[in-house]
Amino acid sequence: MELFTPQKETWFYHVNPAFKFFIIFAALLITLFNRNFAFALHLLLIYILLLVLWSGYSSRKLLLLLAPFVLIFISTASTMILFGKGDVIWWTWGIIKISEESFFRGLLLSMKTVSFGVMGLLFVLTTKPLLFFYALMQQFHLPPKYGYSFIAAIRLLPTVWEEFHTRTNALKIRGVRYKAGMKGIYERIRLYAVPLLAQSIRRAQRIAVAMEAKQFHIGSSRTYYYATSYSRLDAVLLLLMPGLLLFAYISAQYIPIFEWQPPIQQ
Amino acid sequence: MQQTSKGLKFSDVLITVVIALVFGVLFKVWDTVYSASKLLFPQSGQLTYGLWFMAGPFAYLLLRKPGVAFIASSAAAIISMLLGSTWAFETVVYGVVQGLAAELVFLLVRYRKHSLVVAGVAGMMSAVGSFCVDLYFGYADYETWVLVLKYGLRFLSAFVFCGVFAYFLVRALEATGVTKSIRPLSQSDYAALDK
Repeated sequence: MELFTPQKETWFYHVNPAFKFFIIFAALLITLFNRNFAFALHLLLIYILLLVLWSGYSSRKLLLLLAPFVLIFISTASTMILFGKGDVIWWTWGIIKISEESFFRGLLLSMKTVSFGVMGLLFVLTTKPLLFFYALMQQFHLPPKYGYSFIAAIRLLPTVWEEFHTRTNALKIRGVRYKAGMKGIYERIRLYAVPLLAQSIRRAQRIAVAMEAKQFHIGSSRTYYYATSYSRLDAVLLLLMPGLLLFAYISAQYIPIFEWQPPIQQ
Repeated sequence: MQQTSKGLKFSDVLITVVIALVFGVLFKVWDTVYSASKLLFPQSGQLTYGLWFMAGPFAYLLLRKPGVAFIASSAAAIISMLLGSTWAFETVVYGVVQGLAAELVFLLVRYRKHSLVVAGVAGMMSAVGSFCVDLYFGYADYETWVLVLKYGLRFLSAFVFCGVFAYFLVRALEATGVTKSIRPLSQSDYAALDK
């Protein structure tokens, strides 16, 4: 697809895919456990900057891809803002209560969510799924039976997706009406899941037999068609990422763009 | 049980991951249902939340083998990340924690029970797991009544989806005959040989 062709491939494309995954994951764990407003804000800004610099996509395309995050930001924050707990009350109306704490906690939550989303986008845009699993098998010693299972499953996606649409059309032609309430929800799941799963399981079994016959499951002594390795770029990332996180932390401590501290409990 | 080799066979893993793929597709479609159901009343979206817990317990009920619940739950998350879900890495954190929580329940019954209640309890443990991640994320800083409502509905939904729905879905799949060749052999299978 045109949309998913980068303008240029930056160095980030050539980092070992599995290594990249774990570095991003580690960085996001800091975001997950952090409760400091200024630090979260600085982290988010750095992540957005990384997306712009390292994804190799034009800013127009990035804006398009980032648009859903605006919605996520608003919807995530608004629930917390309207229903979050807090003592310094700004406005109440019925069951809705907006307080200073809930307002900033809502923003904090949204910043964390969008941080995850932005880094996820950066990872997905710059990584080939196939190579991700090959790198997991080669550098991280994931047993081939898992790696190849994922690779085979991803190949099946278009088929499953097509079957899903066929099923939708078939149900439409048959004029299926769903009951109201929980029963209707179950009916909806059953009418889709049973045929899709039954077909997929049969297919998976046939593929498994064929792949086992070709020795796809054997252990560490095997060789790979796609060889992945570590390079200098991985060392660069390994040094750069903690540096950036440290920079975000220190700058949040001394020159915060915006600071908020929860009021001390009386 | 007369399983000779320890651990999962290649075909077990592949079937588990493919089940996770189907759930990955369902998750993507379910986003719309979830968003629509949010509009009923505050936190009403939680009633449909149980589907996100379903991959693990469902895979366990279907294959009845150790480890499949954890693999299915994590794989569904990883696959939906690679499909370009906007929730990406967040899903992976939740998927892994929920999978571990469900697996723990199946470990406690030593993988011998495959009942509606066991699967439902595993689903509720997944909900506990998601609550823990929510706590760190900051999704749980609500007024007490909202907190109780949100997670009460989520627990209820977890039991309904992972227990009731998954159980009957597996029964429906048994009727199609696909489960016969993928489950570990039972005593009755061996008894049939002696006849």
